[in-house]
This record gives sequence, C-alpha cells and structure tokens, in this order.
Amino acid sequence: MVFSSIPFLFFFLPLCLILYYAVPFSMKNGILLVFSLVFYAWGEPVYIVLMLFASAVDYTNGRLMGRFGTTKARRRLFLVSSVAINLSVLAFFKYADFLIGTVNQICGASIAPLGLGLPVGISFFTFQSMSYIIDLYRGQVPMESNYLTYLTYVSMFPQLVAGPIVRFSTVNRELHERVICRGEIEKGILRFMQGLFKKVLIANQVGTLWESIRTLEAGQASAATAWLGAAAFTLQLYFDFSAYSDMAIGMGWMLGFHFPENFRYPLAAVSITDFWRRWHISLSSWFRDYVYIPLGGNRVSVAKHLRNMLIVWFLTGLWHGAAWNFVLWGLYYGVLLVLEKYVWGKYLQALPAVLKHCYTLLIVVAGFVIFVFDDGAALRQYLLSMIGCGGNAWWGRECLWYLRNYAALLVIAVLFAFPVYPWLQSRAERLTAGRRSVLACACAVGYVGLFLLATAYLVSDTYNPFLYFRF
Amino acid sequence: MLTLGFAVSPRGTFSENENRYLAELPELSWENLQSGQFMSDISTYLSDHFLFRDFFMGLKTQAELLAGRKEINGVYIADDGYLIEHYEKPVNTEKIGEILENFSQKIAEMEKTEDRRLELRLMLVPTASLILEDLLPDDAPMYSQAETIRQLWERSGIQPVSCEEFLRTAKEKGQIYYRLDHHWTTFGAYAGYLAFCRDRGFAPVSLEELQAETVTEDFRGTVYSKVNDYTRIGDRIVIYVNPQDRLTVEYMDTGETSDSLYNLEYLEQKDKYSLFLDNLHSLITITNETAETERELVLLKDSYANSLVPFLTHHYRRIYVFDTRSYRKGPSAFIKEHPEVTDILILYNMGTLDSDLGIRAIY
Repeated sequence: MVFSSIPFLFFFLPLCLILYYAVPFSMKNGILLVFSLVFYAWGEPVYIVLMLFASAVDYTNGRLMGRFGTTKARRRLFLVSSVAINLSVLAFFKYADFLIGTVNQICGASIAPLGLGLPVGISFFTFQSMSYIIDLYRGQVPMESNYLTYLTYVSMFPQLVAGPIVRFSTVNRELHERVICRGEIEKGILRFMQGLFKKVLIANQVGTLWESIRTLEAGQASAATAWLGAAAFTLQLYFDFSAYSDMAIGMGWMLGFHFPENFRYPLAAVSITDFWRRWHISLSSWFRDYVYIPLGGNRVSVAKHLRNMLIVWFLTGLWHGAAWNFVLWGLYYGVLLVLEKYVWGKYLQALPAVLKHCYTLLIVVAGFVIFVFDDGAALRQYLLSMIGCGGNAWWGRECLWYLRNYAALLVIAVLFAFPVYPWLQSRAERLTAGRRSVLACACAVGYVGLFLLATAYLVSDTYNPFLYFRF
Repeated sequence: MLTLGFAVSPRGTFSENENRYLAELPELSWENLQSGQFMSDISTYLSDHFLFRDFFMGLKTQAELLAGRKEINGVYIADDGYLIEHYEKPVNTEKIGEILENFSQKIAEMEKTEDRRLELRLMLVPTASLILEDLLPDDAPMYSQAETIRQLWERSGIQPVSCEEFLRTAKEKGQIYYRLDHHWTTFGAYAGYLAFCRDRGFAPVSLEELQAETVTEDFRGTVYSKVNDYTRIGDRIVIYVNPQDRLTVEYMDTGETSDSLYNLEYLEQKDKYSLFLDNLHSLITITNETAETERELVLLKDSYANSLVPFLTHHYRRIYVFDTRSYRKGPSAFIKEHPEVTDILILYNMGTLDSDLGIRAIY
C-alpha cells in the first residue's frame, strides 16, 4: 500500500489509529503488528513469508546469542549466521538476476534469469534487522525475548517500505513502553500532512514534467530542456523520498515512536560531503557504523582509507538498485568525496556561498541522471544532450513551453527544497506573538485546504508512482 | 468524515461526465488476493466512487489553471475559450495506409470485372489542432496532421478530397469546431460539404436554402470532460434541415425507421453530439425521394460524418452509412451486392484516426 493513496488515507490509517488508541497499552503492539502485516501483504501477498522468515532468523540468532553466547567466538558464530542469511536473502531476491546478467555479458554465457519480482522494502527490513543482531553482538542493545515484539519492530508499517532505516537501538525502549500524548499526535498529524503535500502536490507533479521530458525523442530536447528534466527529476526524487520519511516520522509520533530524521534539506548543501550528511541520513549512517568504521574509517593510511571509501560507496550505490548505473552513481560520489577531502576541499571552503551551492547542485543534478537511467545507451544519450552534443540545440521552444507550464510549480518546489518553511514558521510566530490562536487558525485553514487539494489530486490523478520499488 | 460519507452514500455505476462505467466492487477470492489483483481493483473502486468525486476533479483543474498550466490531460487551454486536444505523433499511419490501399484495389478490381464506375474518395478531416493552431498556447508542441494526411493520401492511392482550405476559409466566417468537444460544428461540416461538392462537381445547396435551428446552447462535450473546468460555458448546436428532402432513415441494426436525421432526445443527455444520426449504428440507409440524382453513396465513416450527412442527402437518392467499428461483414461485399451504388466516400477525422479500429475493418 502506498501512503499517498485513497485506501491508505481514508480507510487503513483511520481504522488503525482508532483501534490503536482504543485498546489498552498491552494490546497496542498487537494492533500495530496486525495492521503492519496487512499493510505489507497488501503490496506483497506472497513475499510476506520472506519478511517473517528473515525476522525469525534474526530473532532466533539473538536468543541463541543470549543463551549460549558465553564466549566471543560463539557470539560471533551467531552474528555471522544471522548476517549471512540476511545478505543471502537480499542477494538472492534482489541481485541474482543482476549477477546472472553480468556473468552472461562477461563470459558470453546464457544462464536464464530467475525473473523474481523484488519484494517491496527488502533492502529496508533486512538492514534494520541486521542492525539489531550487530548491535546485540556489540552489546549495545539488550536481547529481545518476545518474537512478536521483534516482528512488530521489523514490520512496523510507517517505515517498512521506504525508510527511514530505524535501528533497534532507536526504538527498543519505546517498543516496551512509550508515551502517547495529544501534543505528539497533533505534531505527528501535521508532519504526516506535510509529507503528503510534498508527495502529491510537488513530487508527483514535477514527476510529470520529468516524464514528458524523458520521453522526448533523441535530439528533440535541447540542452536547456535536458537540464530542466534532470532538475525536475532531482526535485521529484527529493520530494518523493523525503515525503515518505516525513509521513513515516509523523505516523511514528502518532503511535508514540520517534524515528530518526532522514533528510535535512540536502539540496541546500554547500559541498558533496555536506550533501551526504543531509541526504538519506539513516542509510549513510548505517554504512558508516556497520561498514566504514569497522573497516577502519579514516583513521588508517591514505591507501586504506581510499579502499574503505571505495567499498562503502560501491555498496551504497548497489543498495539503491541491482544495476550498474547505481554502482556507477555510488562510485561517482565516492570519488567526489575523496577529491573533496584530499584535493579541493580547502579551496571550496573559501568560495562564496553562492558558488558552493552551484557546485553542489550541478554535481547532484548530474548524478541523478546516472541514477535514473539503468540503460547505458539512454544514459549516454541523455548526458550528451545535456552538454549539447546529442545532435540537439542548446535552446528550444519546447523548453519555453515546459517553463511556461511548470514555472509556478518549480518555484514552489525550489523554495521548499530550501529551509523556507521553518523560516516562515518562525516569522509567523513572531508576527502573531501573544495571539497564538490566530496562527493556529490560519494553520488549520491552510492544512485543511491543502489536504482537500491533495485529495483532489489523488482522486483524479493517475500518476502516483512509487519510486523506491528497487531499493 | 469523508470516509464516513463514503460508507453511507449511494453508489452510481456510470459517470455521465466521464462517459464511462465506474469500477465495480471486486470479488474477494484467494487467487485475487494472492496475485494482488484484489488490492489494485479495490483502489480503483474507491477512487471511482469517492464522495464528491466531480468536485475534487474540478478542484484539481482549477489549481492547475491557477499554477499556469496550459495543458491538462492532453488538452491545450487555447484562446477564445477553445479546449483543443493534443495530436500525438501517429504510430499506425503505415498500417492504415495499407488498409486503404487494399480497399481501393478491391474497388478497382470490382470496376474492371463488373464493368461499373465507382467514384471513390478519401476525405481526412483535420481537427482544431491544425486549423485553429493560431489559438493554441504559445510554444505548444504539436505534431502536424497535414503531414499525416499527405502520407495517407500518397500511400492509399485514393483520390483525396481536401477540406483544409475550405475549413480555413470558413473559420473566418463562423465557428467550425465546438469549443468543448472534439467534433466539428455543423458549420464546419458544411465547409467539408463544399469541398466534397467541388470535387464531385455538384452544385452545393446554400445555407440560406436550409432551415437552421438552434437546438441547444449548452453542449459540453468530450474535451470538456477531460479537463473538468466547470466554469466553461457550453457550445451552441445548430442543425440544418433541407425542406425539399423527403427522407426515410432506416436503422438496420435496430430496425427502426424515422423521417429525420436527428434524434433530439439526446439533448437531455450529456453527449449531445449523438443527436446526429442517432449516435452509433452499424448501417443506416437514408433514402431521399426528392434527390437531384439517382446516384447512391456508400459512406464509410466515423462520427464526424454524422453532421455532414444532412447536407449530402440532397445529392443522393440513397446513402448507406457504415460505421465500420460495428459493421463487421465488410462493406466491399455490400458494394458488390448492390450494383446501383455509384459513389464511395471514406470520411474520418484526424484526431481519432490513428487509434480508430473501424478503419481497419473497411474491407
């Protein structure tokens, strides 16, 4: 099920919340679990077995580690068994065909692909589950003795399919006791609505712009249009992805959980290093804590540090999808980050802010072009179009047409991609100081209006894609 | 609140506005669940039956217009109140050309073996996106219909009747397309009629000799429904009757007979264009006792022809109107069986030609 859909917004969520608030605390986890399983089964009626299996493996290994893990070697045994099973599941269901395709290409073999559909959210729940077993091995979290509680954690529907990647250590305490209060619920509703508006009113709409540009025939898009398209896709991906995190965090608050922030205005970054501190934070910190630092991080020789960077960014790329363009995209950032650290980082710092933003955005927008095309030839053609070498002009009437149609939307999108909303909020608070009810009323009218508008788009829109089906 | 409202509100099954049946509640079964079909069907169902659905669709349109969008659902928001459908680059031109060529070869063969003379013509009517292109929003991308028409003429080898110039002349004098529908007006159809008359050497009946009647001022057609801008004011439909004609109109599929080319009962419905020739019939036979000639015409057509037929009746003792989407027996066999047929006109509009399944069944 997709959050921004009629069944979820008007049936699933209200019903879930009503029951959740109505039952005593001891049953709340149960309600959450049942709804989470229904939520997952809605999109993956068959693969739900896989999620149950993966979580059972980690839970069992956790129990075994608690029971028999008297020596480090034994503990390690359970850790390795758990991680190995998780990674195999992930490798089999997500990467098998990619591997087969690559082997076929290199060796000229003709192994038939398995043609398995990718189970939704597999990259998220396996990573979450692994965080538990690794942290348990490190002694950073206590063992969970109740399988249902553990399953509630893994399957929790707000963050099940598109993150943020919530670690067990983050929600462990709240799984057993949490405070659900009105203030938090209200805050959560507003946060959820913000996410909904971002997804429906901005992401889907710039998405249609990108779709119409990407489907132009080769040579028809001028370089300006190609850049406009890349920018539209960047905005779409940011608003889509961060909207999901907003909705997840908001629903977490409604339910009494606190998930980590996943995006901090990444498009307002002043360097690539900065960008990755703001983009999909729960993923980069996962790789940092479970791969990069165990490998030695940057407290090793330069050569080893380079190796570590390469490994981490290869994996980060691969995590995003089973295709070479994702690997390329990961390595692109690995190389840029190394360059920023060792070559031009210090010069960059001396630049005026405007130039820093331009530098970062240029790299990020071009990077997402690599991200979006998994067909090498199409990627090459599009990149050539962007530099005016794809048999196309620099500038064309079609660009003007798109600008005419999408100018207002693009302006709004760009504004909200920068921290304009918090600024507006604090301004409004200062202006209405002492008359809080005025602000609350204005806020309520605004949110209800936008909610009606979002509903209107959902009722009549056919374009409501789910961008992370490959993750 | 909307959820509750949804639960208690009655369900419609047909949307007049969108001119389609709404999704039905899917059946719950194990296979449906396992394949995920049930989930996707129920999503469609909920969206189709959402409370105040029409209101919400209108709201979205107003928001898009406010944001400066000049294209909604493949329709351009043009000047002078026109909503003009996008003409996509066609993909079936070669195939359609081939079908037309086969048909014309068949007719040529028939002329040879049976020693008859058959006047075969091809009339491809451009839509508003070509003729009213000056009303389109600035820089709007549009594939040229003129190019497709030229290709089809060349490929089919059928003698063309070009109505582009007549339409361009007529648009200076009156409204040739509906603002909110994809059809031409009766005035536009008259321009097409003039083009046909010049080609066939007929003396056209002037509009002054006909009785004009405004049957509605509130026609909001297909394009209106695509855009859902409820602030638009409806079009006027004028119908023409030739007082000299003595007509018998036989609908062969339903067996009904009438003396009029119009069914004004459709004025009560949304799709008012259907009043011309009672919408869709696989075969209609129109006999005019007072026609100026004994000629008989076979008309292979789409709905554009329905508003042109009232002008043609004066020149033909009998017109056989085929809708090849539903007439499946092949008109060429019919022509063979009816030696009194002298003329054949193939008339389609360019807006729907590429996706029209009827033209693929003409021979």
